[in-house]
Amino acid sequence: MIKSSEALAPLLDVDSLSVDYISKGVPLRAIEQVSFSLAAGEAVALVGESGSGKTTTAMSIAGLLPPTAKVSGGDVSYRGKRLPIDDDEAMRPHRWSEISVVFQGAMNALNPVHRVLKQIAEPCILKLGMSQSEATARARELLELVGIPADRGSAFPHELSGGMRQRVMIAMALACRPSIIVGDEPTTALDVITQAQILKLLGKLRSELNLGLILITHDLSVVAESCDRAMIMYAGRIVEDGLVDDIFNEPKHPYTKLLIESIPNPAKGKQILRPITGDPPTLHNRPSGCAFRSRCPSAIQVCATEVPRLDLSVQGRVACHLHRYSTQVQRVGSDA
Amino acid sequence: MTDSATEVHGRRRLHATRTFLLQFIEKRGAQLGLLALAFFIVMAAMPNRLVGPLQTAITATGIPLVPPSREQFLGTDEIGRDVLNLVVHGARISLTIALIATVISLIVGTTVGILAGYYRGRVDVWLMRLTDFFFIVPPFVLALVIAPVFVEVVGRGGEILGFRPSLFVIILVIGLTSWGFVARIVRSQTLSLRERTFVDRARVVGSNDLFIMVQHILPNLVPQIAANGALVVANAIYVETALSFLCLGDPLQPSWGTMLYLAQHAGAASAGAWWYLGAPGACVLIVSLSFVLIGNALDDTANPRRRVIP
Repeated sequence: MIKSSEALAPLLDVDSLSVDYISKGVPLRAIEQVSFSLAAGEAVALVGESGSGKTTTAMSIAGLLPPTAKVSGGDVSYRGKRLPIDDDEAMRPHRWSEISVVFQGAMNALNPVHRVLKQIAEPCILKLGMSQSEATARARELLELVGIPADRGSAFPHELSGGMRQRVMIAMALACRPSIIVGDEPTTALDVITQAQILKLLGKLRSELNLGLILITHDLSVVAESCDRAMIMYAGRIVEDGLVDDIFNEPKHPYTKLLIESIPNPAKGKQILRPITGDPPTLHNRPSGCAFRSRCPSAIQVCATEVPRLDLSVQGRVACHLHRYSTQVQRVGSDA
Repeated sequence: MTDSATEVHGRRRLHATRTFLLQFIEKRGAQLGLLALAFFIVMAAMPNRLVGPLQTAITATGIPLVPPSREQFLGTDEIGRDVLNLVVHGARISLTIALIATVISLIVGTTVGILAGYYRGRVDVWLMRLTDFFFIVPPFVLALVIAPVFVEVVGRGGEILGFRPSLFVIILVIGLTSWGFVARIVRSQTLSLRERTFVDRARVVGSNDLFIMVQHILPNLVPQIAANGALVVANAIYVETALSFLCLGDPLQPSWGTMLYLAQHAGAASAGAWWYLGAPGACVLIVSLSFVLIGNALDDTANPRRRVIP
């Protein structure tokens, strides 16, 4: 079989990535054995509650881990080439021209004393070596691309609305024509209508520019609206990975099921929402075996001893003992 | 349509600037300070046109120690020079020394403060210890040490920018001893600014440290530097007066402090020559007070937390 690894390699491939946070000399595992790949033009969501490792995953892809974090295993490859994600300096040429980031909280990520046009032009000058006038022209182009009249570029950040500021951040992320955009909760702190507009814009840009999109969020409605695939994270591991439709209609992992049940659904009429009992484990006290077992309504004995692997299932991947047994039982049943 | 959008925008910016200025001018302190300062700046700008050339022992016109009269509005000194003439000429010397010293102290203080606050760690510790050192060095002792060295290097004669070298000793000493104050304020502000997300964002898009400090942190410091700069000027005038009073000034280019020294030396107080002591003293007081008033008004206007709610 002849194949060129360059051509066939996915846009982004994360292979059993593990990251530790070093706290007082003790390494604490933040994410463990995270593997997934992203194709050009695909939108993937990383969903999970606070502390589930979704931001750590996304930031390690962009090589933006804080100094206290250490990559303890695994690789991230971009078009088949390994990225030096734990070396801030070596990541510089890759950042923004291959992978760029839309930060959360656009007001804080913009310098209050500079006009937004100047701030968008900044990466063009620093990364692409454009002259001042070329960079300004490019920044105006980018503003139009994200739906802001180019003349508004002379505004200061505080003169723009929250949605506009987020658009500015997106324009800035697009400055060096990257092929992957990591959105770190890009719609948090926006009202629902603006949120929808921003998601629509991201979707439009994705199809126009054939961008790979990684969206970090804890809001399942954002996922439903804007992504092809969702990965549910819990306590540093991916517990379920599948197409958005499958995840919503046929969740396989108990955690996903409970998550989806906890979203109010007006179509079902009056119902009492069931929250997931208990608290997520902290970095210090991960339970043995499956991290979710203490809150899982259908935990069985093996859950306490063995960490479930992220197995391929019929649709997507699931990391749950129950699911593996049930498919085995089914297979046995159909064989008979 | 786009043109009108820019226009609306420009107008809004103009409006914001005008609002700031109006709020600033509305303050009683700012009005008083600006008025007094304008008066002294006019004095400093054209002393020759106002009172004629600086009088010396040779060109003195009056009788020694004459109280204020119609001819000598502020009386005369012990060698018959017109005090008004001296005070008006002193304004130029005093203000120039204070302003140049302030510029030096702002440049050094801001640079040290930003570097210490931005790099933190060891750089911070060493730079702040250096700051502490200059913060506590008494300006008088420093002046006594620097003056002979400086004069030795530059030479006693000649002029630099129309000023004699010994005045530069005073400028240097004030500059060296007053930047610590600025450095501390700038450092504390930088410590908070560097943690803001936009600094991270700037670094991620490829800015280096220098670019971040100059382009992103410095512009955010301007309100603090401006408000405190006014206070530094007031302090510089004070120190200049004190240094000159201790005979470290230049008798050939008398500042207000030098005049106070001469008055003291001539025994003006015991001779009852209040005009001789009072005129330069009042000038020092009014000018430094006006800078303090302007500084406070600037701070009140720029800092929303200190803005008085009507």
